[in-house]
Amino acid sequence: MSAPVVKMAGRCFHQLYKLSNSAGRLASGKTGIRQFSGAVVQNAAEPWRLLGAACVQRLAVISADQRPLEAKFSELMNQMELERSLMSDHELRLLDDKERLRRRQAVDYDSDEEEEADRDQDIVLTQDLEDAWEQRLKGFATQPRARGVVDVRLERADRCLAEPLLLLTQQEVGPERLWLLPQTPWEAGETLKSTAQRALSATPGLDLQTVFLGNAPCGLYKYRMPRSVRDREGLTGVKVFFFKAVVSGPLPPPAPSSLWVRRSELKDYLKPSYLEKIRPFLLNL
Amino acid sequence: MSLLIRQLQVSLTQQSILTNQASALLQRVTSSLPAPLCRLAPTNERHYRTMPTHGIGRWKYLLPKEVPRKKRDKLQMKPIRGSTATEYGSLSVKVSGYDMTVVEHYSQYIHNLCNRLGVGVSESYALPTKSTEVMLMQEQGTKMYIDALLKTHERIVQISSMTATLCPTFMDVVLQNQPEGVQLSVKEHMERDFLERFKARPQLEGLMAQVNQRD
Repeated sequence: MSAPVVKMAGRCFHQLYKLSNSAGRLASGKTGIRQFSGAVVQNAAEPWRLLGAACVQRLAVISADQRPLEAKFSELMNQMELERSLMSDHELRLLDDKERLRRRQAVDYDSDEEEEADRDQDIVLTQDLEDAWEQRLKGFATQPRARGVVDVRLERADRCLAEPLLLLTQQEVGPERLWLLPQTPWEAGETLKSTAQRALSATPGLDLQTVFLGNAPCGLYKYRMPRSVRDREGLTGVKVFFFKAVVSGPLPPPAPSSLWVRRSELKDYLKPSYLEKIRPFLLNL
Repeated sequence: MSLLIRQLQVSLTQQSILTNQASALLQRVTSSLPAPLCRLAPTNERHYRTMPTHGIGRWKYLLPKEVPRKKRDKLQMKPIRGSTATEYGSLSVKVSGYDMTVVEHYSQYIHNLCNRLGVGVSESYALPTKSTEVMLMQEQGTKMYIDALLKTHERIVQISSMTATLCPTFMDVVLQNQPEGVQLSVKEHMERDFLERFKARPQLEGLMAQVNQRD
């Protein structure tokens, strides 16, 4: 497992992945020129490269843990509901049986006084049923909610069942290997959504069944190349379109260079500028 | 003035129905007798409330109150919208599960979410409850006995207009808030889904089959 990449100070990183804000300030620092958002003059020979990325979520499998206040309140509501409720048929029958048993064991019991219907009935049938049910319940073993050993390992898809997880893959971007949402360049003739689907299938070792939540992208990340790269390769920058997807079917086994991280752990793996652009469409519910 | 009264009386005898207006007119005419001759009371003037004869001639309030019988129309299917390049067509979001309170609350949540996000909801209804009997084999012997009765409740929220850009966000919210024990399915709304709401009428179908057979 690689160490989290938090290179705030690396100068080479800054030069390569400096995020341009919407005002489009040039890397050479010509602050005297006012730039209008969206009205950046582009050279036709310096295009933007398009990429499609998939934001795959493994949703929470079990409900989230209750906070202390929530636990207290739910307990109070359950108690109130119990106190206000009427007895069910089963409980009424139990009481009835107890009453009959008490009457039968009384000293002055006269079987003729008993009603016709009740005379031949077996008294302890309902209690037997309850005991049988309790035995079956004792034989049922529940799984623990939080499994410390599994929750720590980030490559497992079945960690932290109470929280939604996000898929990150390690990819080579320029000279560096970074943790990103799985992405791949767009090819002419295909839709961006199929690019995102291809990005998932192209990740080595990842055997995943997903359902894409829609045909439209949910977010955009664009960064401009520094002037040196722009002049050398003729590439203005890169635009990444994100598509939301959800894991369906069985959970996949661990794959190399892919992690399942929680929202709180994202900042340890993603670049701050990248994370800032992703955050708006990661609904933290 | 007397000529006017005579003309009015003639018209009244010709018509057998005595209306409010006519009686009012008659009174107005008779009450305006002492007034100057040139003044004629217009026929569309109502008496003010302080007038002692205000409301005289009212009769509809004396009739017994008849509650109009509401005849229930047969349920009509709302037209199914087709999908365009930017919008989905008619979708139906089906929520099903064993626990009715949870299923209903979740469907209500989805409906309220649609209202808040501006997604058009055309209908919100429940499908008939399906009962499943869980039968267990007895320990001794081959007879099966009923162990439990599970009821599957289904609620449907029919969506008419959902833009393609809103769909991923909407689905994300709905999926993240899905409670345990509840199944969610979103699919295209078809006419057969509408027909599923109605009970089968075997007698009617038998008769129709007989009629068709004879023809």
